[in-house]
Amino acid sequence: MSDSAETIAARPSSTATRAGNGQFRRSLVGGPVTALPAVVIGLAILAFAPAYYTHLALAAFVNLIIVVGLQVFMGNSNIANLGHSAFVGIGAYGVAVLSTPLAMKKLSIPNAPFGLAFVELNPFIAAVLALLVVAVLAAISGKIISRLSGVAATIVSLALLIIVHSVFLNWTDLFKGNQAFFGIPKVINLPAMLVASVAVIVIARLFKDSRWGLQLRASAQSPQAAAAFGIDAKRLRLMAWVLSALICGLAGVLFAYFAGTISPKLFYFQQIFITLAMLILGGMATVTGAVTGVIVLSIGLEFIRSIESGVTIAGIQLPQLLGLSGVALGVVIVLCMAFRPGGISGRLELDEQLSRLFRRNVR
Amino acid sequence: MDYALQQLLNALAFGAEYSLVALGLAVVFSIMGLVNFAHGEIIGVSAYSVFLAAALGLTSPIVAVLLAVAAAALAAVTFERVAFRPVRYAPTTTGLLTAFGVSIVVQNLFMLLISPKPQSVSILNGLNQMWFFGPFAVSSLQVMELVVSGLTILALVLFLNRSTLGLAIRAASRDFATVRLMGIRANRVIATAFAISGALAGIAAVFILARRGSVSPDLGFGLVLKAFVACVIGGFGSLAGAAAGGMLLGFIEVGLLVALPQEYGGFKDALTYVIIVALLVYRPEGLLGQRVELGDKEI
Repeated sequence: MSDSAETIAARPSSTATRAGNGQFRRSLVGGPVTALPAVVIGLAILAFAPAYYTHLALAAFVNLIIVVGLQVFMGNSNIANLGHSAFVGIGAYGVAVLSTPLAMKKLSIPNAPFGLAFVELNPFIAAVLALLVVAVLAAISGKIISRLSGVAATIVSLALLIIVHSVFLNWTDLFKGNQAFFGIPKVINLPAMLVASVAVIVIARLFKDSRWGLQLRASAQSPQAAAAFGIDAKRLRLMAWVLSALICGLAGVLFAYFAGTISPKLFYFQQIFITLAMLILGGMATVTGAVTGVIVLSIGLEFIRSIESGVTIAGIQLPQLLGLSGVALGVVIVLCMAFRPGGISGRLELDEQLSRLFRRNVR
Repeated sequence: MDYALQQLLNALAFGAEYSLVALGLAVVFSIMGLVNFAHGEIIGVSAYSVFLAAALGLTSPIVAVLLAVAAAALAAVTFERVAFRPVRYAPTTTGLLTAFGVSIVVQNLFMLLISPKPQSVSILNGLNQMWFFGPFAVSSLQVMELVVSGLTILALVLFLNRSTLGLAIRAASRDFATVRLMGIRANRVIATAFAISGALAGIAAVFILARRGSVSPDLGFGLVLKAFVACVIGGFGSLAGAAAGGMLLGFIEVGLLVALPQEYGGFKDALTYVIIVALLVYRPEGLLGQRVELGDKEI
């Protein structure tokens, strides 16, 4: 923090934009550093782990992208968002409806409206169109949410989740309702997922460090002071909301393309609980926090799930403990909020922490 | 005519239930700014304690009703003591997320300790009968819901207006610091608010049990989401707004149920929320909420 102020002060007066460029370059470098732990784990799994773990890792990377998307809105605006899974669902169902092969569609959604039963697009074009739908819906909902004060905005984000879920469930001609939507082309593998994760993390870092991100964080800390500086908080909240929705939508697209089968309940409260707990545990002020939370909780939850389904310890068969992972998630959230509201990573990004560490060592 | 009256009674009964739960949320929010997502689990604790008591041999419905209310009040006070006190001075978002966490923990504890599946509770079924008034047949439960909710709200208003503690609660919702300067303990005010909120939830739990005849881990969650929405339309933190918002929500739901053709019945929830969000476009501060400009001081 303080050193950037020093550099600005030390330079001649005409360098305000140069300082801005320096910040841009720094966050462009900082983004990949932030992503590094996730990439290392991903590559390690790619190189050594059996197929089962690859599947788990793919799911964990989808969560990573969702949590980073969540951080873009929550971390910068400091408004709790409990509806992001709506956009994950829209992304996933968007590509499911657009790119599933015609032969499959004849089985699953023969009566789809708007002639969608006879559409089979290239997966990439389908993804672009699905994200376009996400963007439009996010712009509309964001228009409403950015006008509301904190608590009301949170409740409306929940309402959005329920509306979208209920449409998935009840518009059976298009979304197959409660049944699984299958036959989506499986075109995503782990390397592609890694690339997408890094890209998303860099984007989130660039937004956070950009002029807009800084202004939005300022207005979250003190609305009055920010307004006095002429910051239009509503517009910035809308921007963050749409960007966050797009990232979540992308996560949905990638999920559909690796799993091949989706159903509405995947994009409902269970997912909200898990991703929210990850973000809170890691620390929602930073992108590093999002990455940390996903890594820690993904590993922790996998461990708990293995206990949950009933294990044998020293010859004694433990019973099934359904709900154990839920209790753990909730306890993580409550304890974090009480004792370390900033999460594990606190206020500094990984690259900032590292550069501090090295500077201290030099001294 | 008969049909219209029946639907009117339906709307009033639903509205009364939403109002009760929404009031419980608003009482707590107005004084400490906590968005209590765990309110639904207070209803859950209440319902599960009736279930356990019945399983242990309780047969008297009156005792069950008292137990439900007492258990809910106790649960609310306990949640405050254990989970919400550490985050009392934290920003709203922190409190909201804590409450969300508590809600997840308690729901999953029901799942873990009792069962993920719905369990049948028949002890309160006697409340749900058909009463005949001349040509009209009405459900006793709906009449009771309406009467009891009305009386409860009346009692709450009397308490808030006539007793010292009630006065302290109302004052705390405006300016907590001054209330403490007057020599009133913050902990007592907050515990009372939680106990009231819990008791309201307990009454709602009795009606839910009587209507459904079973308990399940997510028993109160959906209801509380609706109550939140009622609070938001009424203007968050306003008690009158919560009651009015709850009633309005009841009328919107029953109205949609009547108006929608059978095959679109599934869209009822979605449309309800769409209508409410649309309302918020016109009045972002809610129906009875006051528009507060940045930097305004309350006089």
